[in-house]
Amino acid sequence: MTGLARMAGLPAVALILVSGVLGVELAHGGGTFEPLHPADPCVARKVTSQAEGMDALTERLVLLGLDGAACRLHLSREALTLKLAQPGDRTDAEIDALHDGLLAAVQRMKDDGSLPPASDLVDEALDNADLNGFLEAAIRALPDSVVNAAVKIDDVLTRTIDDLDLRTILANLDDEAGLTQQINAAVTQAVKDSLADRLRDLL
Amino acid sequence: MRRAAAPLIAVTVSLMLADSAVVTLALPDILRHLNTTVGQVAWVLIAFNLVLGLGAVPTAMSVARAQPRIISAVGIAVFAGASAWCALAASIDVLIAARCVQALGGALALVGCLELLVEEYGERRGVAAWVTAGVIGTATGPFAGGVLTQVFSWQAIFVVQVPFAVLAVPAALAVPARPVLTPDRHRPAVRPNLTLALLSAALTAALFLLVLLLVEGWRHSPGAAALTVSVVPVAALAARPLARLLRPPAEVEVAAGCFLIAGGLVGLAIPPSAHLAWTVAPQALVGLGLGLTVDRLTSQAMELRLPRVRHAGWTIGARHVGVVVGLAILTPVFTADLQDAQVPAQEAIASLVLDAPLKPDDKIAIAQALGDELVDQEGRVPDLHHAFATADLEPEDRPAAAKLERALDAQLQRAATRAFRDSFLIGAGLALLALLTVVAPRRRRTP
Repeated sequence: MTGLARMAGLPAVALILVSGVLGVELAHGGGTFEPLHPADPCVARKVTSQAEGMDALTERLVLLGLDGAACRLHLSREALTLKLAQPGDRTDAEIDALHDGLLAAVQRMKDDGSLPPASDLVDEALDNADLNGFLEAAIRALPDSVVNAAVKIDDVLTRTIDDLDLRTILANLDDEAGLTQQINAAVTQAVKDSLADRLRDLL
Repeated sequence: MRRAAAPLIAVTVSLMLADSAVVTLALPDILRHLNTTVGQVAWVLIAFNLVLGLGAVPTAMSVARAQPRIISAVGIAVFAGASAWCALAASIDVLIAARCVQALGGALALVGCLELLVEEYGERRGVAAWVTAGVIGTATGPFAGGVLTQVFSWQAIFVVQVPFAVLAVPAALAVPARPVLTPDRHRPAVRPNLTLALLSAALTAALFLLVLLLVEGWRHSPGAAALTVSVVPVAALAARPLARLLRPPAEVEVAAGCFLIAGGLVGLAIPPSAHLAWTVAPQALVGLGLGLTVDRLTSQAMELRLPRVRHAGWTIGARHVGVVVGLAILTPVFTADLQDAQVPAQEAIASLVLDAPLKPDDKIAIAQALGDELVDQEGRVPDLHHAFATADLEPEDRPAAAKLERALDAQLQRAATRAFRDSFLIGAGLALLALLTVVAPRRRRTP
């Protein structure tokens, strides 16, 4: 074996082995095996739900609302969610962004036609509402077309969002019963106000 | 007893120099059992290596006039007693204290055993046996540590040292070696010892980080991790035939070995997925590099240098101080990186939970359980299974939840892999520094 072969043989083998291993790794995505990067909340994403009725509507509204709020706060949706899940005071900017994000979500669902008609939700809403039996039966007997003409879901949702005390809701996220009670009260009030305005317009 | 003495002494040397590699595989178990942090558990390694590294040369100097068999026997006995103490330790502080005592015994035993092996085998073969025992220990230690931890417990890695040591004490006493009073003729071999120290730091990165990544980050059992890291000793065995085939000069062999270790560590930094197979080829590079460098450098540092024991002390010191330097650099880096990885990991988890094909109530139940789990396991890569097992879900929703659990585990694997990347790259940098010490031009001696 020549002097050159003895000097260069092992380094050449080492170079080939290292280049080969690193080359194969890089060709298969080596160096990019990292956690999922959060999507841009300002880019509209498709939101679906496995639930039905009010739960599905609420879930889609919250997910789109979070996107809108995160976009306004220049955060990712995930960073905002984790931040809101932590206990502590909320800033005015956060509350305003959440309020505006939820309103924008209602508008987006109205624009893309994904808001359900009121008649789809009336039975579930009546189950949760504290009405006397006679009135409840009367409303259930109304034809869908009458219900849909009387109650516009986007209007009810907008009124509900305006009426909700988001700061209190965020402070009591662990209190599921209290949360439901507060939202039900806001929805009922929004339906009443919406109906009253409709009647006023008709008269 | 006299016939079995030399092999028993060689095994004892192997056990002592394998210690760090063996203990590395038990660290994740120690971490959980003693309820400590990654930063604290690193001290189980640092304490042993620091005491052994700093104590080796003074020990070699102070025992030069003593009977090697007495020194060895005392050292082995102290090592065995401290090993038993380690196995009984109920807190991380006690374990670290026991490790310091263990290292003191190790320093005495290692320098004494070198003289006993030379007495039994002669100068050349005795030194070669001592060096080879150390390399075999370093290479096979992780496998032994992983298997013992998996089959028994982390305490087993210390318990198993006791019977070997108990047998080695009478073996050491049976060798009638006398103190060799040699004048202080040679200065320590700076270059090979420095290279050895830097390579030890880099190899620590390879073993310590890889084991933590496999067990804590990718959630493999210690046994699976042990089997995986056994690639290193197997590849190290291929180094000698390769060197014999290509017959490079010693410096070229060491330089190529350093380059292979650096390349292997870069490979470990950038796996394309968390599949164990992606660690095999990079580990093979590290093992090949280990086989080309450590015994060659140890021999270079000791060859024809007197007094022999003192130069052995320098190589022990270089290796173990190197491990400490490696851990001292890498531990804060990867613990900080693990901390930093929490935010992207939590965001990835939040994203997957929000978009999961589950009912809103199920998402909330899982999110609450995950939140509790993440708080409980603060400072570690969390195990999310408990959160899913305890979440209040309907039976029909379990399959979708199981799919979500797998997706979240994959995100944690990604986050852990990313968190370890910089540390592996620093390890590669240390191996390249070792390469520099080999290829740097030598100072010319003035006539």
